[in-house]
Amino acid sequence: MEQRPDTGANRNGKRPRWGMAIDLKRCIGCHSCTIACKGENGTPPGIFWMRVLEQEEGKFPVARKVFLPIRCNHCVNPPCVPVCPTGASHQREKDNLVMMDQNKCIGCRACVVACPYQVRFLAEDTHGYYGETLTPYEAKSYQKWQPRTVQKCNFCVERIENGLQPACVQTCPTRALVYGDLNDPQSELCKLVRERSHFQPRAELGTDPSLYYLT
Amino acid sequence: MVNSFTVELRGQQEWAWLVAIDLFFGGLGGGLFLLFHNLKLSPAIGLLSLGLVTVGGLVLLAELGHPMRAWRAMAKPRTSWISRGMISVFLFIVLGFFYIAPSVSFFSWLPWNPAGFGERAIGTIAAICALLVTLYPGFVLSASPAIPFWNSPLLPVLFFAQSLLGASAVVILFSPFPGLLSLAAVLIVTNLILIAIHLWTLEHSGLAAKEAVRLLQRGSLGWIFNVGVVLIGMVFPLVVTLWMPSAVVLAGAFILIGGLLLRYCVLKAGVYVPFALV
Repeated sequence: MEQRPDTGANRNGKRPRWGMAIDLKRCIGCHSCTIACKGENGTPPGIFWMRVLEQEEGKFPVARKVFLPIRCNHCVNPPCVPVCPTGASHQREKDNLVMMDQNKCIGCRACVVACPYQVRFLAEDTHGYYGETLTPYEAKSYQKWQPRTVQKCNFCVERIENGLQPACVQTCPTRALVYGDLNDPQSELCKLVRERSHFQPRAELGTDPSLYYLT
Repeated sequence: MVNSFTVELRGQQEWAWLVAIDLFFGGLGGGLFLLFHNLKLSPAIGLLSLGLVTVGGLVLLAELGHPMRAWRAMAKPRTSWISRGMISVFLFIVLGFFYIAPSVSFFSWLPWNPAGFGERAIGTIAAICALLVTLYPGFVLSASPAIPFWNSPLLPVLFFAQSLLGASAVVILFSPFPGLLSLAAVLIVTNLILIAIHLWTLEHSGLAAKEAVRLLQRGSLGWIFNVGVVLIGMVFPLVVTLWMPSAVVLAGAFILIGGLLLRYCVLKAGVYVPFALV
């Protein structure tokens, strides 16, 4: 995996467009990415910035489970941004990441219902997994977000700006998740997208998600 | 909210009764002002319209996660219909008051002339704002591309028609005038046609659209929609306006109940298009 410590221009002189490919042939539905995301971002109970959907297909004796990890796709045309009345939901020009400014969020949830991927969440309160009394870890990680505002995947921006992989990518035991710069044709991500059959989730909506499922 | 880990048809969980009440009062107030302005009704009706929109706004504040930051919602009128709606509500209340106040004896000390050009201009701008107040909820909902029940250009029209219908019900209750019952009957039929077109279109669309229609007709919203919205809120009032004018007050009250329930049904029928697994 190519790691880029800065978010300035890439080797082609273009601004990076951080994206991800998820190899559905490699995903085994182990939920490691779900847990790694929770561990990294300390999201409250019931909220999963990254999660794995599963569905049974076929009938006995050829029934099987299929898995689909989902997360914010950091779309090029995100429906969640224009609907926000305050500008809290915004898209960074420098790398296309769709972010939340929780100091501006009024908790109207317009972005939650506008997101076609159902990956935006409003934390109603600051309860932890063990009730009102937070564990030391929860007390620390809950400082990253405000109750009654919308939160979402931030592509582990602090990690990638320090040359690390997003937590979900780093933890995936089957290397089903690959992240990189979609504006760099020589990145591993772009090579995979070029070489493998793929689809973008709900591409028909014109959101141009920065996520490719490899099939 | 608790995330789902399975692929399923799932309705939105974010907006429910409080938003429905806000949409109801806001629409009612906006529609009432339009009737007041265009039909030259009593100033008390005008003041009532301002009060209704104000109540709607206060209910919306209660729904927000951070009501004290509500002023920020006016920041993005270029892209956000919520922003446009908030600005319209604010301008409507201020300009509407300036327009109506001189006609009310309590405010007769105010130093402007109710019949002057300036007042008429203010009234026209207030009416445009009232029109936006009735329309914007439909545009807010239709900006959700993955909720087919909402993502329709018909929705703002339906909200507008509902606003006028509710407003006519308020006038029936407080300040009836000749021809009002005919107007109400036309509005009821218009609303019935719009709802029928919307449901028919969705019934012949994709999976989530069909599920929304099923919820309304035979699912968990069936009683509220069939009995509350259609029967009580429209069919009974239509019968009354056409053939039983003695029960017109009851019809007015029922139209209002149906209007509130319709807003709730529209919100709860917001079913997402599910993910497709390959």
